[in-house]
Amino acid sequence: MTALSTVRRSWLLAPVSHPDRVSDAPSAGADVIVLDLAEFVAEPDKPAARESLRDCLLPANSTGAEVFVQIDPELMLADLSAAVWPGLDGVVVTRAETPGQVVSIDAIISELESRRGMSPSSVELVLSLETAQGNQNGFEVATASSRTWGLSLGRADLVMDLRPEPSGETHLMQYLMQRLVTLASATGTVPIGAWWRFPDRGLLATPENTLVAAQRGRAIGFKGSFCVVDNQVLPLNAGFTPSESEVAAAHALCEAYESATASGTYTMVSVDERVLTPDIVGQAANTVALADACSTRDRFKAAAVKGIPVPVP
Amino acid sequence: MPSSTRRLKRSGLTMPIVTPRFINNAWHRGCDYINMDLEDSVPPNLKGYARSLVRESIPVVNKGGADAVCRINHDLMEADLDAAIWPGIMMVNYPKTEYGHEIERMDAIITRLEAERGIRPGTVEIGANIETAVGVANAFEIVTASSRVRDFGGASGYDMSRDLGVEMFVAFDQFVYGKGEVELAARAAGREPRAAPFTPNITGSVSDPDRAFAEADAARKCGFRIGGGLHPAVVEPQIRGFAPSDDEVSDARWVLREYRKLSRTGQTWVQVDVSSVDREASPRPMASESYLGRHRVIDRYEAARAEELLQWQDLCQERDQEKAEAIDRVRAAESAESAT
Repeated sequence: MTALSTVRRSWLLAPVSHPDRVSDAPSAGADVIVLDLAEFVAEPDKPAARESLRDCLLPANSTGAEVFVQIDPELMLADLSAAVWPGLDGVVVTRAETPGQVVSIDAIISELESRRGMSPSSVELVLSLETAQGNQNGFEVATASSRTWGLSLGRADLVMDLRPEPSGETHLMQYLMQRLVTLASATGTVPIGAWWRFPDRGLLATPENTLVAAQRGRAIGFKGSFCVVDNQVLPLNAGFTPSESEVAAAHALCEAYESATASGTYTMVSVDERVLTPDIVGQAANTVALADACSTRDRFKAAAVKGIPVPVP
Repeated sequence: MPSSTRRLKRSGLTMPIVTPRFINNAWHRGCDYINMDLEDSVPPNLKGYARSLVRESIPVVNKGGADAVCRINHDLMEADLDAAIWPGIMMVNYPKTEYGHEIERMDAIITRLEAERGIRPGTVEIGANIETAVGVANAFEIVTASSRVRDFGGASGYDMSRDLGVEMFVAFDQFVYGKGEVELAARAAGREPRAAPFTPNITGSVSDPDRAFAEADAARKCGFRIGGGLHPAVVEPQIRGFAPSDDEVSDARWVLREYRKLSRTGQTWVQVDVSSVDREASPRPMASESYLGRHRVIDRYEAARAEELLQWQDLCQERDQEKAEAIDRVRAAESAESAT
């Protein structure tokens, strides 16, 4: 299965130090639940959070969500020792900055996978480039481990202290987002994020703004986004899923191209005042495939909620 | 001036050093720094004469409390530095910086001149101005080439427009990529970004006070602290635009008070319903800054911004006081002189 065929539209962060948030998370409908040890856990609560983490893994995926744990690279040994147990799908690294850091994280995970009876290389990584250094070193960081599945800017707006401009855009963000999407494509990883605007901050927004951020985010290449509260999950799922009219148009375009090129003479044809090329049709086919993958994912989650065993898509 | 002191650069006038009426009147304009230009505003046949003026002009421009800065010529670095590095000079601007080795060489020359001329080591800052595509490509090696580069920015303006062959005065941001590269390099190197949000300027006016205020205001709200200009009319609006408003100060105090409450709860953030806050009580939140409609997030990031704002306000007030006192001293001396 290639990275892009994995549908991970909504990544709901739930601080492990807040049992109510952790127990509520599975009912929100997220594709991924991110059990957080780093960003939303107060420093004194971290030891207890680590101890309780293992027991959170299986309940978290009871409704068909995948489970990631978000760690602090400065505390990587303790955080990973608490997180890497059977049932874990991946690790989100906050403030990822250097290739050395990622290599160390990879090595610790490998050791824990083998010690704890997990398949080797089963735990994936999402690297959040939240600092200037992380973005500056982006290519080296992204290619430091073969576990790296995705890249994100995380809460760079807060970590880098980027504030709203008069236009409503967050300063520097358009540059950083395009840089990240390009970097992800160049390194074969998946860009995770959304195009937030003032007054959204730190991945937090109203459901309405979250939907718009997801739609705009998808338009510039993001495949899913983190969020902070439960009511952002469904807007993210919707925003990162092609709409019915989009899918219908893509189907129609593929069919029109197929019949216009049936003679085998041309690959670039004009249909209804539009020029269709293999790239355009390929993009339309991707939209159809993404819509299929999204509905497979949604069916899987629906079945899991009803307790029907279904193989993982 | 000890090298560790952060010098404020909210407003600065760039002027040809060969025009005495500019240099002699600069001291009472109220700007944080005066940029004595040896470069674009000085014709080639006057470069030697211009150099001979720097040493004596330093005390003239800084008698009103402004810091003295000198912009040198890219291709005349050594001769210009020899003319510019004298006690009282705060910074040297190096235009069209393209490579790290240029800044390394400049650092070595300044280090020698500081030693020879009794200037405390590390005092003189380097303004490494990025004004060409090559400079953008090498931004990170340039900003890390010397610890004298304390703030860093560019990739826009007249020279950049010429280098890329693009229009300077348009209603959209034509430098998104280059400015992004340079700002990211500055931040990654841990230097202060010299940046500002885009504000359209299609007239090319350098003397419009309203525009100058709007730019400085937007820059301050975005967290930027450095400005500059070419016309005396923009100095006062820039200083005003970089100063936190009373509402912002009150808001920052409210944020810090709410954050102290939060730190005792085991939560890392909270949403406060701004409409429930007593509007008459001081400090109070700014409704216009509220997130999620009526709700305002309080967390460590918001607290850090509030703390920085209060420190910035103190720095601005101290610096304004320092300049006002210097100007008063000059005026008192002048009136004493004319009385005798």
